[in-house]
Amino acid sequence: MKFDTIIIGGGLAGLTCGISLQRHGQRCCIVSSGQSALHFSSGSFDLLNCLPDGKEVENPVEAVERLKLQAPEHPYVKLGKEKFEELAGSVVEFFSQAGVSVTGSACKNHFRITPMGTLKPTWLTLSEQVACEHGDRLPWKKVAIFNVTGFLDFYTQFIADEFHKLGTECVLREISFPALERLRKNPTEMRSVNIARVFDKRENVDELARVLKDGRGNCEAIAMPAIAGLARTDVLECLEREVGTRIALLPTLPPSVPGIRAQQQLRRAFEQAGGVYMLGDSVLRADMEGDRITKVYSYNHGNIPFVARDVVLATGSFFSQGLVALPGKVYEPVLGLDVEFVENRKEWYDMNVFAAQRYETFGVKTDNEFHGLLNGAALSNVYVAGAVLEGFDAIKQGCGAGVSILSALFVAEQILRK
Amino acid sequence: MMKQDTAKPFDVIIIGGGATGAGTARDCSRRGLRVLLVERFDISTGATGRNHGLLHSGARYAVTDQESAKECIKENMILRRIASHCVEETDGLFLTLPEDDIAYQAKFVEACSQAGIRAEIIDPKEALRLEPSANPSLVGAVRVPDGAVDPFRLTASNIMDAKEHGATILTYHEVTELLREQNRIVGVKVLDHRTKEVKSYYASVVVNAGGIWGHNIAKLAGITINMLPAKGALLIFGHRVNNIVLNRCRKPADADILVPGDTICLIGTTSSRVPFEEVDDMRVTPEEVDLLLREGEKLSPLLARTRILRAYAGVRPLVASDDDPSGRNVSRGIVLLDHAVRDGMEGFVTITGGKLMTYRLMAEWTTDLVCKKLNVSAKCDTAEEKLPGSRESGEEVGKKIISMPKTQRNATISRHGDLAEKLARNTTTLDNSLVCECEEVSVGEVKYALNELDVHNLVDLRRRTRVGMGTCQGELCACRAAGLMSSLHKYCTRRAKEDLASFLNERWKGMAPIAWGDTLRESEYMAWVYESVCGLTLSQKQE
Repeated sequence: MKFDTIIIGGGLAGLTCGISLQRHGQRCCIVSSGQSALHFSSGSFDLLNCLPDGKEVENPVEAVERLKLQAPEHPYVKLGKEKFEELAGSVVEFFSQAGVSVTGSACKNHFRITPMGTLKPTWLTLSEQVACEHGDRLPWKKVAIFNVTGFLDFYTQFIADEFHKLGTECVLREISFPALERLRKNPTEMRSVNIARVFDKRENVDELARVLKDGRGNCEAIAMPAIAGLARTDVLECLEREVGTRIALLPTLPPSVPGIRAQQQLRRAFEQAGGVYMLGDSVLRADMEGDRITKVYSYNHGNIPFVARDVVLATGSFFSQGLVALPGKVYEPVLGLDVEFVENRKEWYDMNVFAAQRYETFGVKTDNEFHGLLNGAALSNVYVAGAVLEGFDAIKQGCGAGVSILSALFVAEQILRK
Repeated sequence: MMKQDTAKPFDVIIIGGGATGAGTARDCSRRGLRVLLVERFDISTGATGRNHGLLHSGARYAVTDQESAKECIKENMILRRIASHCVEETDGLFLTLPEDDIAYQAKFVEACSQAGIRAEIIDPKEALRLEPSANPSLVGAVRVPDGAVDPFRLTASNIMDAKEHGATILTYHEVTELLREQNRIVGVKVLDHRTKEVKSYYASVVVNAGGIWGHNIAKLAGITINMLPAKGALLIFGHRVNNIVLNRCRKPADADILVPGDTICLIGTTSSRVPFEEVDDMRVTPEEVDLLLREGEKLSPLLARTRILRAYAGVRPLVASDDDPSGRNVSRGIVLLDHAVRDGMEGFVTITGGKLMTYRLMAEWTTDLVCKKLNVSAKCDTAEEKLPGSRESGEEVGKKIISMPKTQRNATISRHGDLAEKLARNTTTLDNSLVCECEEVSVGEVKYALNELDVHNLVDLRRRTRVGMGTCQGELCACRAAGLMSSLHKYCTRRAKEDLASFLNERWKGMAPIAWGDTLRESEYMAWVYESVCGLTLSQKQE
């Protein structure tokens, strides 16, 4: 199997890189083992919320310079301010062409609503969710919050109490009708994705519209969990047209329906551009010649190699198994690239779960062009993108999605420049 | 902070909500005494909830301590009868490995038979057939009547029976002072941690059943008990590797018992002296983890490939003999101190030492002493009368709650025994929804625990229902449970979020010592969900 580029990992980084390469005429293959972090997403993408010293960031483009001193191996430092600004500025359009509509700017963080009802800074938010301009108020005076009866991954009372603090009045309503009751027969079925499947049927959307219309009272907006529109993308549009009120979808606990849909849409965009997406396969090993990888072998394809000019590693962090930790060691399991970590595992953790955890900054070492290093030397046709990279703390710095997208776009540029 | 003197009279106040305190509350209330039990946190928070959960046959002590061995086997047989829903009759094997002295086996079997413990030498091949996870290089095996016991369930059940017999149970009430009139203790002053109120309660006898913390409680009366905190660390694995308890057939040493329990198994323990300042915050060190794994793999090599869920440690309340202040001569047996005789302090009794296995016997001795002081002649019946939950067989209960989905039904019965019926009463299909998928805990079970079992926070709830004890260590169920607790008005949403934050921190405490491999994946995911997606932060606690 011959391709221009093999991308290992089909999450946000792998898909972004793949779409970019396909659009520029390359023939790529993405090998994906399954779920990615997008399946657990908030429906927003963060670029940079906080510097390592704890200082909050309002304008990521301005703040990125300061990373140089505080986190010299940060992927954004490798990009440099100009590249960072240029790439970040291109993402809204890039996503829009791929059919994923987002709002936001790299020069000013806005605020998203969390499943707990609080506001948190972010960069881009999917259009059907709420992007608030300010961190201390909501765009509504009075809102009706709906939840499906017995759906345990969305907490109307939590949200209402937080909204109240922000000066917004709330009324709480429940959604219950026969199609949903059928789900309840099995105790594990009342989960976001299963409910979303109910709303992929037109008649159920109509029923939902009636419930929302009846219950909204004099509220200027309706908020409900993001549990609609998995296969269909027009559910929100239909509902708003029928109900005649602005409807805001709020994130739930995982799995994330908007995240899964974004993932599906990006995959579709990649395939429509001619890319090959191999789902449920994993790369096991590679053949090397000098400083190049010549062939890559996967689980499903056994001895039939993937041959490509370039290889992109976008396998994600520990959770996605792009990095694997043993008691005194962290390694990259697919290509065996060099990984930055400390040996003493006492230093990996802070005993406060909400403090910065050092293990979060471990990752694959690269040069400034994001070539992966093996035994200290850069491999000339191997690039690394996304959460598997070293030097940043996606959780504390609020930069996970940004690192994935920008490093992927940058890697695509490097490959195309050759 | 208001001071309030409570008029309600009690015969006996028991300090400590571990197995011993709960057992004593049960025994005293069954003999007609008016009982108050005060516990500074939740029930089973000390050594009771931090051990192997091993239903000792006594075999482990047979060679070194015949008295303990005899007590164990007697109590073992009693618990099988009175607490059947807390006990799993797994049996145990004592394995001799190539590096162990096979001659010890004969000595061991002889000592067991002397203590009245059935100990049967079986062929190593037969042992492997019975327990395929055992180390295949074993050269000898002895089968004994070990088992597994759930200490949370056992303690909760004793509490429940005590309440049925009129006892008052106050959790989150910490004793700050022993009320004294001349040379007599007449009551306690307690701080209610939830309301911050200070209250006084009076009784004719005060029983100190505070485990290692009993040391400081005695101090409040100006009495010194020479206690030695001994830390024991354990590891919990995410699967039930073995179905039979595995022990090493040698002198008791570190990490030589592997016990199955519910969906998991446990290896332990280490043993090290710790200073008193540390007993409130036991942390497992990387060295202890390494030792437990190294030794554990010798019992069952499978452990090397099994995911570890968490590490934790408890503190044994060892007591030095009164005539040996150096602390070298330590007894692991039961220590019942009548301070009237020992220290000239009337109305005050300390029960300590012993082990989970002998909690009932300790309670019996204590209650006998209390009754003697009060001139009450009622006899102990706790060895015969079954505990709530154990009064009907699981099969019988199953028939009564047939409408519950099967896996849930089995899980509920295994956790609550015949009380599952009470739990299932008045539930709707809404209540069948699962809060915790790892452990099959339903909305109905959470509601029952909140309403009936003195649950005040998520950690309490975990001890009653196993919410958050499974493979995911509370990833999603914690949030669902917090949501439920706040929707049932157990607390406000601000407290719910604080509680969630401290629950997650408590889980992390046990995960951090073993956070590599899948546990690190899980930890990262947890941080991602709660901190990134939900925006839960440290400041949640300070707000």
